[in-house]
Amino acid sequence: MSTVPYVDLVLQHQTIKDDILKAIDKILSNGDFILGHEVSVFEEQLAKYCGTRFALGVNSGTDALFLALKAYDIGEGDEVIIPPNSFLATASAVIAARAKPVYVDIRSDLNIDPSLIEEKITKRTKAIIPVHLTGKAADMAPILKIAKKHRLKVFEDAAQAIGAEYKGQKVGSFGHVGCFSMHPLKTLNACGDGGAITLNDEKIYNKLKQLRNIGLKNRNESEIWGYNSRLDTIQAAILNIKLKYLDSWNDKRRFLAEIYSQGLKDIVAVPYENKYECQVYHTFVIQTPYRDELQKYLESHQIGSKIHYPIPIHMQPAAKRFGYAFGHFPVTEQSVQEVLSLPIHQDLEPEQVKHVIEKIHVFFKNKDRL
Amino acid sequence: MRVPFSYLERQFKQSENLEEKKELADTIIDDIRDFLKTSEFTLGSKVEAFEKKFAAFIGVKHAIGVGSGTDALILSLRALGIGAGDEVITCAETFIATAGAIAGVGATPVFVDVNDEFTIDENLIEGAITEKTKAIMPIFFTGNCPNMDAILDIAHKHKLHVVEDSCCGIDARIKDKKAGSMGITGTFSFHPLKNLNVWSDGGMVTTNSDDVAHKLKLLRNHGLANRDEVECFGYNSRLDALQAVVALRMIDDVTEVTNQRIANAKRLDEAFKDLSDFIEIPYRNPDYRNVFHLYMLRVKKRDELLEYCHQHEIEAKVHYPIELPYQNCCKHLGYKKGDFPKAERDRDSIITLPCHQCLTEAEINHMIETIRSFYINEHSALCGLSSTASDH
Repeated sequence: MSTVPYVDLVLQHQTIKDDILKAIDKILSNGDFILGHEVSVFEEQLAKYCGTRFALGVNSGTDALFLALKAYDIGEGDEVIIPPNSFLATASAVIAARAKPVYVDIRSDLNIDPSLIEEKITKRTKAIIPVHLTGKAADMAPILKIAKKHRLKVFEDAAQAIGAEYKGQKVGSFGHVGCFSMHPLKTLNACGDGGAITLNDEKIYNKLKQLRNIGLKNRNESEIWGYNSRLDTIQAAILNIKLKYLDSWNDKRRFLAEIYSQGLKDIVAVPYENKYECQVYHTFVIQTPYRDELQKYLESHQIGSKIHYPIPIHMQPAAKRFGYAFGHFPVTEQSVQEVLSLPIHQDLEPEQVKHVIEKIHVFFKNKDRL
Repeated sequence: MRVPFSYLERQFKQSENLEEKKELADTIIDDIRDFLKTSEFTLGSKVEAFEKKFAAFIGVKHAIGVGSGTDALILSLRALGIGAGDEVITCAETFIATAGAIAGVGATPVFVDVNDEFTIDENLIEGAITEKTKAIMPIFFTGNCPNMDAILDIAHKHKLHVVEDSCCGIDARIKDKKAGSMGITGTFSFHPLKNLNVWSDGGMVTTNSDDVAHKLKLLRNHGLANRDEVECFGYNSRLDALQAVVALRMIDDVTEVTNQRIANAKRLDEAFKDLSDFIEIPYRNPDYRNVFHLYMLRVKKRDELLEYCHQHEIEAKVHYPIELPYQNCCKHLGYKKGDFPKAERDRDSIITLPCHQCLTEAEINHMIETIRSFYINEHSALCGLSSTASDH
């Protein structure tokens, strides 16, 4: 068996390339480049898919979080609770809004530990951003309960989790807003940056429409200061083509994840799925103390793998000024040493997954012999 | 005969006299087909190639592709460390995004009135400088050049940064210096209605400073020094690689596009110069290459002329009908009527006529005839009467 790359965007676009070019040609012929028809179509489809009243296309997942914070007037002097093991954009959105990220450790499933949230709530706390990391929903029931009790806003960071379910409901529909990324490496991916916000509150929806479009209420009037953060019409057209395949892609990922889990559960920690969950496996993350050797071994057999993420946000050089140190978030810090994301995507075949499993078994067998 | 304000419906569309442009669109679609095969969708070689070409075009050391012109301004200010508690001086007559960028980083926009040529009145800048002032943001509004020599002198004297809002001024020049090459940064927008346009939002920052360029590259990409290490907290504001593919073709056309706009503007200037009782053509400084992103005039009976143009299918516009300092979003800044006499005068007298590169000879003639007939046939008598009446 040959190479198993971690992702294969080239393969993904082979089959739909002609559809994409046709869609671009159509946009060209009417010059509908900015917040065009395809954007509205995508917004409608996404809202329907997530089960919210509204969806709004923005420039990126980072901007989705940032604009949501702005829409709720969260900024200077405010605190926002986030897990420390996300992609750093979760924190940078909070910092860009001039609020302070306050970290809460995770559980072994890599999502925020709800039982640790309350002790971090202060008078300044305004919101919680649970991250649905790896495509698994954070434990929303207790999070929403805490938020309600303390009157906090909940912004779901669903960048990795489009289509994931928790107790029969899709992510992005639990919090005040759901924030999505359509970055090329996401499951529903544009051919460039893209993002979206899902929500039910009409007033906030209207405010977000102004915030993403330079504060413009109409061509001439600016009610509020805004930004330029619009989902590109061309990217929306590409997403509209792909959205039709999303469920089948997620199904394929779940199918492959099951093969991985069955094949690996005796030698490494594999993701666990509760009965009330439907995970979409944006990443398939195993945990093992032999992570670094295993990754090297896989690499030597042309099997791609990644670490999400090797440095937790609170330990980044950029976060120095917040005064966090090693030891503050033990679960996160341990997971950082052990997590490894194996190849998983809709164009991967079960034989390739079995090949990866086999190699991992060989690795552990050889290791035991030493 | 309809005279559209925007060229977008024609720029890439096939029609008899625009065969050439259809070829351009086809070439770009072919480029995109190849691009889709590479799957290099985030930054990467296409963005780098366009950045290099653009830097050479402007005549600067670095060009950094970002999400939009607005973001080019925001990231420039961020890279210079400008934020809460700081003031940035800019012109009262501009698109909202200029001031929005200043507010967006938490700084305070301080407005200075406009001059007769739609750029910042440099004589008023020093009066607006306080201890908190960190930068001046002159705008190449309408495609015309602000008095950069004077502005740079003031900035030097007071140790201020100059961030050029050159979003409307691509290919504009003061003698041999291009817009975007004179301040610490220049900022560009490739929005579909700009003279160099892509097929969505897009922007660029130009600079000669290695240090600022380094910071901008971090800031636009989450502050990532590499895949895993974050040097500073940043943003996600990257020029789309797909749009860089478009821009790599469009940049070859920009000088031609600009020359056509300048030629159109010249024709309009000529056609209206004998109507100085009604139409004030702004002074055209021979040292400036005004690129006429907007062809703006000050006219009498503006609202009536606008209405008359629309009746004759000429899509004239007003940029903008509300003075920026008096927008609701500026309320907290405390400006009041009378603070910006020239911007206020402009609000009631400016009109923007179609001037783009896709206008036909017949359309330009129709526009000239319509406007001339408005003043000569319908209003010369009326204007004469009303002035007589008010004399009494």
